[in-house]
Amino acid sequence: MSALTFTLKIRTTQRIDVSALTPEKLQGQSPETTAAILLPSGKHALRVDEVFDIAGDDAGNIVFKNSDGKLDYIGSQMKSGSIIVEGEAGAYLGFQMRSGNITVHGNTGVYAASGMAGGFIHIHGNAGDFLAAAIVGDRKGMKGGTVIVSGNAGDRVGDQMRRGILLIEGNVGSYCASRMLAGTIGVLGTVGDHVGFGMRRGTLLLTKTPEMHATLQDCGTHTLPFLSLMFKSFAQLPGKFAKIGSNRVQRYAGDIANDGKGEILVLQ
Amino acid sequence: MLIKLTGGKVYDPAHQINGKVMDIHIRDGRIVERPHEGEKINQEYDLRGKVVMAGAIDMHTHIGGGKVNIARMMLPEDHRTDPVAHTEHCRAGCGHAAPSTLTTGYRYAEMGYTAGFEPAMMPVNARQTHLEMGDTPIIDKGGYAMLGSDDFFLRMLTAKQDQNAINDYVAWTMHASQAIGIKVVNPGGISAFKFNQRALDLDELNSHYQVSPRDVLKALSRAVHELGVPHPLHVHANNLGVPGNMETTLKTMGASEGFPMHLTHIQFHSYGTEGDRKFSSGAAAIAEALNRHKHISADVGQILFGQTVTASGDNMRQFANAGHGSPKKSVIMDIECDAGCGVVPFKYKDQNFVNALQWAIGLEIFLLTEDPWRIFLTTDHPNGAPFTSYPHLIRLLMDKSFRNDMFTKLNLDAQAMSTLTSIDREYSLYEIAIMTRAGAAKLVGLHDRGHLGVGAGADITVYTDQPDREAMFAKPDYVFKDGELVVRNGQVVKVTWGSTHTVKPEFDRSIEKDLKKYFDRYHTINMENFKVRDDEIAEGGRGKVIVQACEGRRERSE
Repeated sequence: MSALTFTLKIRTTQRIDVSALTPEKLQGQSPETTAAILLPSGKHALRVDEVFDIAGDDAGNIVFKNSDGKLDYIGSQMKSGSIIVEGEAGAYLGFQMRSGNITVHGNTGVYAASGMAGGFIHIHGNAGDFLAAAIVGDRKGMKGGTVIVSGNAGDRVGDQMRRGILLIEGNVGSYCASRMLAGTIGVLGTVGDHVGFGMRRGTLLLTKTPEMHATLQDCGTHTLPFLSLMFKSFAQLPGKFAKIGSNRVQRYAGDIANDGKGEILVLQ
Repeated sequence: MLIKLTGGKVYDPAHQINGKVMDIHIRDGRIVERPHEGEKINQEYDLRGKVVMAGAIDMHTHIGGGKVNIARMMLPEDHRTDPVAHTEHCRAGCGHAAPSTLTTGYRYAEMGYTAGFEPAMMPVNARQTHLEMGDTPIIDKGGYAMLGSDDFFLRMLTAKQDQNAINDYVAWTMHASQAIGIKVVNPGGISAFKFNQRALDLDELNSHYQVSPRDVLKALSRAVHELGVPHPLHVHANNLGVPGNMETTLKTMGASEGFPMHLTHIQFHSYGTEGDRKFSSGAAAIAEALNRHKHISADVGQILFGQTVTASGDNMRQFANAGHGSPKKSVIMDIECDAGCGVVPFKYKDQNFVNALQWAIGLEIFLLTEDPWRIFLTTDHPNGAPFTSYPHLIRLLMDKSFRNDMFTKLNLDAQAMSTLTSIDREYSLYEIAIMTRAGAAKLVGLHDRGHLGVGAGADITVYTDQPDREAMFAKPDYVFKDGELVVRNGQVVKVTWGSTHTVKPEFDRSIEKDLKKYFDRYHTINMENFKVRDDEIAEGGRGKVIVQACEGRRERSE
């Protein structure tokens, strides 16, 4: 059995919703049925075989090849198996994902990992704005699972995030951890302005002291034993977070304009 | 253009035709007499073996107005999970519980419905409501203007103004808002909520105006009757959803003192307080009272399981229910001090005791009410379930074994509290045709719809007789709207634009002197701009106003 491979063969101006192409939805489908699935694209619907060349038969392992940033909802509501994206991914990567693995060898669009409740996403390129944030109409962003971004991420990372681990090796934009409800975000690079704006609970782990607004309060330097446990759990993960050793941090609490139970920890 | 529908089995309860095989002729959008020998028939449809009924009429469905738009805005997830692609004839759309206007029209037509009536049209919001309904293709529509918690009317009651003045105000409102009926929602209660009352029983006084819901019902039901408006006062009673509210409902039936009233979504008003959980079915008592009170009619407002959204003018009850919303969000608002609005998303679950019992109560009311001319098939779209579940509901009514199978899947405690399985009744096609066609047209006052007699508008639905009634009613073979074929095999093949039905009862225009003063002093809008004109509805050639006759107008009161 070889991985079920969808090679994008057309370039569209309109976006394409590929939420129908996940391991459990394609499990046990004949090639003909898979080819005939309709993918919403703007006001139209396109057949899978109009958009992709299809090869392979193992629906548990799906590969998108030659993909571009127009493919939205990759791995949406996925519950098992793995998806590998060789190229760019569009918006809503891993939307409401429950379990399984997604690997993207390229950049992703906005709202990656939004509503994600479990599983593992590794983005080797950059992530767009609203990574792990709640989409319009939802009240919670990421709700579980682990996301690693090897590159940079955009603005509003972790907006209304509720649970889970979000690790970014590069830099992030403005409003990182805004309105964050709970969960853990780690950033090894720099963060933009308005960090922790409206942050309610949760932990933001940084390596450099960012510019902070008035309602984030310095609580001094601490050695926190729980960090050792957390870094131990990171040791299994790919990437740079596995190598952090120190558990000595400068702690800031906030946003005290919004409950103030969140914390920003800056590694010393 | 002469069209002949040949050899169908016709169900036309308005003319006591029960499954008779006959031909129907259509010329220029109307049903006509058999043509002379030798007249050329332009088109013929062979309907041998098919079931032929008038187009169905939904007499209570929230398809327009501010609250539907709020529901759409508040629930993007309802839209993004249900996209509808653009086709050769139809434009793209979306939405399961609160679909876009275009999708609403297509889906109704595809189920064989040719008319739908918006039951909560705020007069101040009437323009928006008509614009939205004007954007709903194929089906005919109309609205019931909401009165009873508006300041001007409550002031009239407080001042004990005479019935003639109230009649004039009601008629003026119907003209101004292009309505076909009058609805009252939680009589006086929407207003009382704003004066910090959180419940209002039938004989309780609104603390500000010192009038009771009973006064409101008496004045309005009499006004509607005396103006000769065919549709009786459309009543959403007090205490919606409250355990034990069946007592209020039973009392409400007597509140109009003999003037006709229509009690809407009565399922939500038929709860007792028996059992360990103090929540039980009042269906038997309600149905028995309906059977006895010939001046009362009702629609059920059946709930069906799944995600939907409740949208109502009853801000008092919606405020109380907001905590039960799923997903957890809601909008409760005042509208121009004249009424209110509450939108709460809701998920009915078959394993939830209350929801399961609500399901059974609705069906019990359907099955225990004897006269199908006075009970109507609704889910109070989208409050009980989206209208697209009507075929499923029809199957529940027509198929006892299916109904009992569904019943066994319910919450066990709820099963123990319901007598549904002991009811053997199954609705016949003739009775379904009464509920959804002839009866509904008669109730709303559509004199040329809901029947297949000569002169009627050619709104006709053709089904294949199948034992699975859900499949049968979900996908009609043909639907004709004003004589044009709009749906074939459950797919829209032509998009037309329906009309807006109204009534224009006569009244004494001198009421405008008082109203003008009131508008100038209190309102956000000039009185002349408040009125929705015919040409606004007809704008762009997409619709027109049909004025239904106010037959049976009564002399003015002493």
